[in-house]
Amino acid sequence: MTNHSLLKLAWQQTLAANRLPIWRALLLALTVAISIATLLAVLGDRLEQSLGRQTAELLGADMTLRGGRPIDPAIAESARSLGLETSGVTQFPTMIEAGENLLLISLRVVEAPYPLRGKIVTQPPLERIPEPGTLWAEPAALERLNLKIGDQIELGYATFTVAAQLNSTPDRGNGFSTFSPQVIINQQDLEATQLLGVGSRARYRQLFAGDPAALKQLEAQIRASMASDERLITLDNSNNNINSSALNNASRYLRLGALLTLLISALTIALSLRRYTLNSRDRAAVLLSLGMTARQLQVLFLLQLLLAWVACALVGTGLALLLEQFALFMLGDLLPQPVPLAQPVFYGLGAALGLVSLITLGLPPMVAMSQVSVMHLFRRTAAPTTLGGRVLQLVAGVLLTGLLMLYLDDLQLTLILIASLLFTAWLLGKFGAWLLRVCAFALAGKHTLVRLLRLRLQQQQRWHRMQIPVISLLLALMAISLWARSDLMDRWQNQLPEDAPNHFLINIQPHERDGVDQVLGKYQLNSNLYPMIRGRIVALNGEPVANAFTPEQRQHNALNRELNLSWTSEMPGHNRLVEGSWSSQADGNTAHISVEQEFANTLGLKLGDTLSFTVGSIPVDGVITSVRAVQWESFQPNFYVIFTPGALDNMPMSYITSFHANGEQRKVSAALLQQFPTITLIDIEQLLAQARSLIGKLSDTSGMVMLLTLLAGLILVFTTLSQELDQRRYENALLHTLGATPQQCRQLDLLEFALLGLVCGGLAAALGEIALWFIHQRLVLIEPVLHPSNWILLPLTATALFTLTGLLARRRVDESNSYRLLRTLS
Amino acid sequence: MLELFSNISLQIQRGETVAITGPSGAGKSTLLSLLAGLDLASAGSINIAGQPTHQLDEKARAELRSRHISFVFQTFHLLPELNALENVILPLEIRGTTDATDKARSWLQQVGLGERLDHHPAELSGGEQQRVAIARAFATEPDLLFADEPTGNLDEHTGEAIIEQLFQLNRDQNTTLVLITHDNHLASRCDRRLHLHNGELTEWSTAGVAHD
Repeated sequence: MTNHSLLKLAWQQTLAANRLPIWRALLLALTVAISIATLLAVLGDRLEQSLGRQTAELLGADMTLRGGRPIDPAIAESARSLGLETSGVTQFPTMIEAGENLLLISLRVVEAPYPLRGKIVTQPPLERIPEPGTLWAEPAALERLNLKIGDQIELGYATFTVAAQLNSTPDRGNGFSTFSPQVIINQQDLEATQLLGVGSRARYRQLFAGDPAALKQLEAQIRASMASDERLITLDNSNNNINSSALNNASRYLRLGALLTLLISALTIALSLRRYTLNSRDRAAVLLSLGMTARQLQVLFLLQLLLAWVACALVGTGLALLLEQFALFMLGDLLPQPVPLAQPVFYGLGAALGLVSLITLGLPPMVAMSQVSVMHLFRRTAAPTTLGGRVLQLVAGVLLTGLLMLYLDDLQLTLILIASLLFTAWLLGKFGAWLLRVCAFALAGKHTLVRLLRLRLQQQQRWHRMQIPVISLLLALMAISLWARSDLMDRWQNQLPEDAPNHFLINIQPHERDGVDQVLGKYQLNSNLYPMIRGRIVALNGEPVANAFTPEQRQHNALNRELNLSWTSEMPGHNRLVEGSWSSQADGNTAHISVEQEFANTLGLKLGDTLSFTVGSIPVDGVITSVRAVQWESFQPNFYVIFTPGALDNMPMSYITSFHANGEQRKVSAALLQQFPTITLIDIEQLLAQARSLIGKLSDTSGMVMLLTLLAGLILVFTTLSQELDQRRYENALLHTLGATPQQCRQLDLLEFALLGLVCGGLAAALGEIALWFIHQRLVLIEPVLHPSNWILLPLTATALFTLTGLLARRRVDESNSYRLLRTLS
Repeated sequence: MLELFSNISLQIQRGETVAITGPSGAGKSTLLSLLAGLDLASAGSINIAGQPTHQLDEKARAELRSRHISFVFQTFHLLPELNALENVILPLEIRGTTDATDKARSWLQQVGLGERLDHHPAELSGGEQQRVAIARAFATEPDLLFADEPTGNLDEHTGEAIIEQLFQLNRDQNTTLVLITHDNHLASRCDRRLHLHNGELTEWSTAGVAHD
């Protein structure tokens, strides 16, 4: 037989197979697997290039020191003495005003040389850094403020000319600032703006570049004397900012989803190939009887697999490219632009993975099929499972695991994931099957059908053990991603009563206090200005922090950074007294303090304890006289520690307040900024909108992957239902001949699906609650809540999914020819 | 070890038609598989076209089958996605025959399906399907044709016509025909009639009298 005619036969065979549900399931599973593998490879590579392995070009330097206070100039000095280039950057949020428009931006103040690595690309193209008196702004800022190149704009007390649009820039900073539109000005202009007051939220960084050995030396020096709120970012450990850690979490979540999809798809491919080759044994025997050799037969089916692969690779890769565009569109704002292109090889990775898994999974059943005897046509024989076949299956499993490890590029993670997934699946399968039996047992007295159902459950047990874990895990994952997001949003939204503050004013200098108060009064805005001062806890009852607290307690945020301290004679109205009594004035020289409840509990603080602080370099003590409950999300100024008035006088302080402005009152922002250009006004709604869009974009992107995963799961359920369709058909025929009506048979199937759905949905809801509880408790730090709707929705969804796929698979169970069926199938 | 057959000695001449009858479970199919070299007997010898199949390896036996043997099945076993012509071409292509299409077309004409070349099995009646199968079996010009209940899935009238065709072609091509059947009428039309019972093969005279 010529290769050509073999190929032609393979082609015809493939076309014919395309009508078979089981073959379609194989194609779909392969397509989904290829597209998700390609998507993750391409997206992962692009994200990694732009964030994960931060390059010097993106960092703007070879090494960066970050901190909440100005970096000690001595460090820059020693860098220079080591022959390194260095440059200081200050970055802080501020409100910018142009006509009617107000926008929260992140202002980056730079000095030459800058950046030390990489390049700022501007439109029109400009060199180095903004000339004094000019600024460069990102397109988002220009657009929102309705500004053009050449326009004049006020920043604090200084006027700037917009000299260029920032198309791309390294060193966008870290934390929330990276989500805001950025504006760059020259260090020489900073003083004139007077924006950098005591209470401004400035972050400082010092960039270094140069000889690696000198850098190492400097790194050692810096690490030896680094303050606790300082971070040293080197090229090896650059994953140190919120931005990339959010993306890292998302990408880890995506990997989990992708791994699950790939495993499920592999299972589907293996099962559908097994079914397909079993169904093809007649054909194989006929071809052998017509003179084909076993080798030719193997080539023929291999060709068929290759044809299927080509189609799936094209569609799957195409789909991945579409999804890639969508994902980049969604994540565009979060990534430094332009996002580097993925290496070309990654575009073919999914297809290659698909090919190797298809061949790996396809070979064992194909070899088994080609060993069928022509005698099969005369006398039905069961497919023998040879030792060779088992070994081949084992080899295929090991190969596939290796492949996934290679693909996910993280040996340990993949092994742990696969092992824990398998274990969870096994556990779920066992437990689910047990639950099914319990349910059936409980129902047994109610309905005659249920007795038949128990028989059915026994027969389908091995498939249920596969369906239950897959569907429960998938639904749980989906529920988690959905709820984790909406919990957070709800939490924010619900915490905000209608009149919750929607504006924050910080960095109000003492001399501006009365003026601000007046402006607020003019707009009938009701708000308290709280003094604020930054101090560090140094001791408890005279014991230094290192001795007074346990290592766990020392992890608490409050001990690792400067706290915002305040003083007032009356307890803020939105706080609640939990313990002790509010003290409005110091007892002689002893200041009294009121501490926040959670903070006090974690650090083991009691009434009567003395906490020692340093503010700047001045020591201040306070005796705890009360404990308050604080709602952190209330968008009111909140403090861990509030002093009695007087204790913190004459120290560098600023005022902070928040207020709710509505309608006409919103004009207060412009009025405030005009009169007090250096105060920082933060529009919470803009901030929330930015945060919401960040979370929304991340979860939409992962939702996309989850949908693919769910699709893979449904295909698997369909495949498993198709596996024993003959058995189901035979069983139904038998029931008919025993007197059951077609309707009863259908009811039996539906009952089975409903029970399956109930069990899977219940397991998924339980799994989801446990995972969410962990996420809330450990990661997001919000109060865990139960999701009663989950317990109804998930079982309903699962039942619907099972019924849908079940009816689809069952379509071919024809009840009208029972006797004939019995004869041919028995 | 279970002994399926004892003391079976059988010689079939070229061009002979032989019917093997016997109750279900007597081992008819097993005997056929041994005769066709699909299975190996644990003892004894079988020669086809002068070649000892019991001494050949699987590959050589497949080679022997492909050169000399064809099958016709009770359930036809046509490939559903190929049309009648393609189904007949297939074994010719497997053997690398050059004028496969012409040959196949002429065989289909011989079985009376010249007008239905591009019909798929699903569009053909049972009788027509079996005729395609017969054309497919004869297309490779086998020396030996095994037919397993070729009329088993057909009504009496159609079965009759199929059998007529089979015998006709057998005569024309001088093909040896080994037929497994339940149908006494069909068996009686063969040159020889063998009855398998309790592992023993007895030959009946055409008159229906046992003959040792």
